[in-house]
Amino acid sequence: MNQEEIKSVVQEKFLSSERVTAFLCDAKVLYPERIMKDRLLAIVEFGDEKAVFCLFSSCYPPKSFTDLSIEIVLPIDNTFKCEIDNKPSDPEAVLYLNLQSRNSKFKFEIQMTPRVDNFVDDLFRGIDAVNKVPTQPEFVWLKKYNGKTEDDIITQNMVVPRSGVAHTQNSAPVALRESLIKHKMSDKELEYTFKKRFSIFCGTWNVNDKSPTISLKGWLNVDKEPPDIYAVGFQELDLSKETFLFDQTFREDEWYNAVLNYVDPRAKYVKVEKVRLVGMMLIVLIKAKHKSHVKNIMCDTVGTGIMGKMGNKGGVSIRFDLHSTSLCFVNSHLAAHVEEYERRNQDFRDICNRTRFVQPNQLPKGIADHDHVYWLGDLNYRITEMDPTTVKKMVAENNFSYVLEWDQLRQQHKLHNVFSGYMEGTIMFKPTYKYDPGTDNWDSSEKNRAPAWCDRIFWRGESITQLAYRSHPSLNISDHKPVSAIFSSSIKIIDEEKYRKVYEEVIKQLDKMENEMIPQVKVDRTEIDFGTVRYLELQVQTITIKNIGKYPVEFEFIKKLDETNFCKEWLIVEPYKKCIYAEESCEIQLKVLINKTSACKMNAGADKLYDILVLHLYGGKDIFITINGTYQRSCFGCSIEVLVNLNMPIKEVTVGKLIELESKRDQCVSNQSTYSIPKEIWFLVDHIYLHGLKEPNLFEQPGFHYEILQIRDWLDSGSVDPIPGSIHSVAEALLLLLESTADPIIPYNLQSVCLRASANYLQCKQIIMELPEFRKNVFLYLCEFLQEALQHSAENGLDAKTLSTLFGAIFLRDNPNQIQEPQSRINKQIIDKKKAQFVYHFLVNDHSDLIFSK
Amino acid sequence: MAREFDHLFKLLIIGDSGVGKSCLLLRFADNTFSGSYITTIGVDFKIRTLEINGERVKLQIWDTAGQERFRTITSTYYRGTHGVIVVYDVTNGESFANVKRWLHEIEQNCDVVNKVLVGNKNDCPSRKVVVTEDAQRFANQMNIPLFETSAKENINVEEMFLTITKMVLRSKLEMKERQNVTSNDTVHLKKSHKTKKKCC
Repeated sequence: MNQEEIKSVVQEKFLSSERVTAFLCDAKVLYPERIMKDRLLAIVEFGDEKAVFCLFSSCYPPKSFTDLSIEIVLPIDNTFKCEIDNKPSDPEAVLYLNLQSRNSKFKFEIQMTPRVDNFVDDLFRGIDAVNKVPTQPEFVWLKKYNGKTEDDIITQNMVVPRSGVAHTQNSAPVALRESLIKHKMSDKELEYTFKKRFSIFCGTWNVNDKSPTISLKGWLNVDKEPPDIYAVGFQELDLSKETFLFDQTFREDEWYNAVLNYVDPRAKYVKVEKVRLVGMMLIVLIKAKHKSHVKNIMCDTVGTGIMGKMGNKGGVSIRFDLHSTSLCFVNSHLAAHVEEYERRNQDFRDICNRTRFVQPNQLPKGIADHDHVYWLGDLNYRITEMDPTTVKKMVAENNFSYVLEWDQLRQQHKLHNVFSGYMEGTIMFKPTYKYDPGTDNWDSSEKNRAPAWCDRIFWRGESITQLAYRSHPSLNISDHKPVSAIFSSSIKIIDEEKYRKVYEEVIKQLDKMENEMIPQVKVDRTEIDFGTVRYLELQVQTITIKNIGKYPVEFEFIKKLDETNFCKEWLIVEPYKKCIYAEESCEIQLKVLINKTSACKMNAGADKLYDILVLHLYGGKDIFITINGTYQRSCFGCSIEVLVNLNMPIKEVTVGKLIELESKRDQCVSNQSTYSIPKEIWFLVDHIYLHGLKEPNLFEQPGFHYEILQIRDWLDSGSVDPIPGSIHSVAEALLLLLESTADPIIPYNLQSVCLRASANYLQCKQIIMELPEFRKNVFLYLCEFLQEALQHSAENGLDAKTLSTLFGAIFLRDNPNQIQEPQSRINKQIIDKKKAQFVYHFLVNDHSDLIFSK
Repeated sequence: MAREFDHLFKLLIIGDSGVGKSCLLLRFADNTFSGSYITTIGVDFKIRTLEINGERVKLQIWDTAGQERFRTITSTYYRGTHGVIVVYDVTNGESFANVKRWLHEIEQNCDVVNKVLVGNKNDCPSRKVVVTEDAQRFANQMNIPLFETSAKENINVEEMFLTITKMVLRSKLEMKERQNVTSNDTVHLKKSHKTKKKCC
């Protein structure tokens, strides 16, 4: 077998539209697993797309495509990579071929032959071509070669894609349920099909180059009932050289018309198909009333004659679907000569292997891929090891069974060398070969061969009963007698209405499955009320998400339309994203904390303690979780202008009044205001002034959180009790209060001016002079106080540098709403230094002039 | 080649809280009914495949929370919707009165989209307050098909979903045709573009 022949075998493994452009034998797989048995590598082209196939062959060289099985498919796309190395120990003779496509990686060892060049060239041509086209090939044609189990299909494709809230919903069709539907439908076939018996007439006749000069009634029309189907096969229609060479003969029409003339006239027949190769012709007719139920008619011819391919011997076949049963009829003329039974066996195998019915978009079908196969023909098997005279004598006595013991076909069939899986009926008729034409006399030529049952009919398939198997000796124009068989075959018929019902059921079942695969969770609460929430008091609540579905669920809190975050700034959700396995739960902590940034918004009515979270399940639903609470407003977070106008504790101020004050804070003027500085600042400063100036580590040691909360309540409620808590807590509360005001003491818009002026005391003074009145008051008041504190540095350990750094950051707060350019650390240090420098002037210089200028 | 479906449509069910939106979906997708009321807090969806005139249509049907406080969020789910099912409760006059607001909501959030009006809970004549004639008059005025259904008794549910699906399918096919016609026009006659109806 040469390389071209192997190539043609490999080609047969593929559709004719898929062309094998190069192939290599003797490839060893080294990676991912070392496999010792050689593989075949083939490059297959379909349109513009190419792929590398690795095939296993059950024998070497492969004799037929059925010997080959596809193991690896590597599409040559833009992920495809190919690297070639020499084997270090044997660089001349062995190559390593590293192929990579998508996520698969393989290493092959190949023998250096001239074909390798070809193969590699072709490979690189494919890679080049792929990189030139802008769109990625889809390789739809490869899908049929990528065998996947049903479960894979489900898990990969069944999940309905969707996008989150506020995204265009335009999910692509993903799920490939088709194969699942097919599978389920075939499982339920019995529910929507019923069986009906069809009678099938199969006839075969080697006409030995004769024209139909006699009536065929005695062959085709001898039964009580007209059969539903006629399958009539002829051999040796025409033995002329012209027919052999050009495959044309007038006999085709002669015999076809003869058949049409002599089929049972009680029924109307129409042609299903007719196929001929040289002298072999097969005609299939069906009763007209059944024709509409015949689908997918296809035929093929295989020559096994001279050189193994010519059509003087071989087989012709017709396949079609009748209702829901697939039928295949084969008419074959196998190799001649008494001793050549091995050759006949091989012809049979060749016909089996090479007959292919190619339907668009379907895997090619072979003969064996049919529910029913009827095989008829001049199979040419003889009687051996029995002398002709004995045969003739026993046949004359109708002692067929004894003679049949020496029938080669019986023997080979028994040994499973031929027609394995096929059945043959009992032969109760005389051998059909060889007669003197025109008589019922055995061949009188000198060869004196033993008569034989050359003409036979076999079948395979379920629910087929042979009703008759006979020869028709009266038709004597040939040296063969015609043979026929009648079958009663059970054909599956689909009850359309039942089919619909079952189909709908299956679809519903799949829909149900798909719906069940949509993630399902149970959230214990969707409304979370935090009750009263106070400034700087962290509150935590927990919700539990339980996965009540069958598959893992991934959840995430997602953004609502036009929002930059999935929740408000005062809310922390932990975790906000996680995967929960089936039956498992996940606790989510919701933490509410109103701090300096959110407090002023709450006070100003720009925000409230209310949010709706969107809990999104990937591939599933969204759950809305409502967060609710009442914020108890505090002096923390109020602007200085509002505080100086509050002549009562903030607790007693209505929400509406506070919002109104906040909205009007820019119009605040001194002569209408209650205080010149906020009383809350005065309380805290005065307390430190009276009780804490000598406190070691003043402003450096942190206070206690609970004491700060007590101080907050004391300030908010206007208590007449002494201020609670330690000096350090009071000091920290002061810092917090200053930090939480809606605007900083020195307005944001002046910050850069301040920083520029920071080295120059006079300029700094000028800026302070021009501050809005209450800001200036607070600034100077605090600086006076800090100067006082510095008088006691021996006890409290303060120094002007430390204090100016601390208060610099408070007086000159960075604007949180301004998008900050990413500051380098050095830059930040410089700015902080300048802030400190600015404040420093007022801690070390006497600025009473500023105060008294008022 | 294997095909799973020819069309994928997104349908949306909207309407006041408690009119039976989830029940309609449950009846249509799973053919079940649960008497206990669980208010939908969020949006949920189910799928169902139908065959209409030999074409396989996969429906992804979204059920939304009807509560007022969720209205802003749920309106963001209208995008990409092919058909909207506006539901009221025939035993609740207010829910019928609110239909106008829901239709307005559709207008705000979708381009041209197919709609059906559904009066659910039509299984207890003594409790019915929205009479068919009124609803029909309104539906005619709005040019929207009306269906009176009962998810509980499985009355008219299948028909209603089938109708909206057919409407959506027809719109799609018409749009395709129109597009073909328009493109032909521009090639041969250079006619001015007619305003194309868009499916949202």
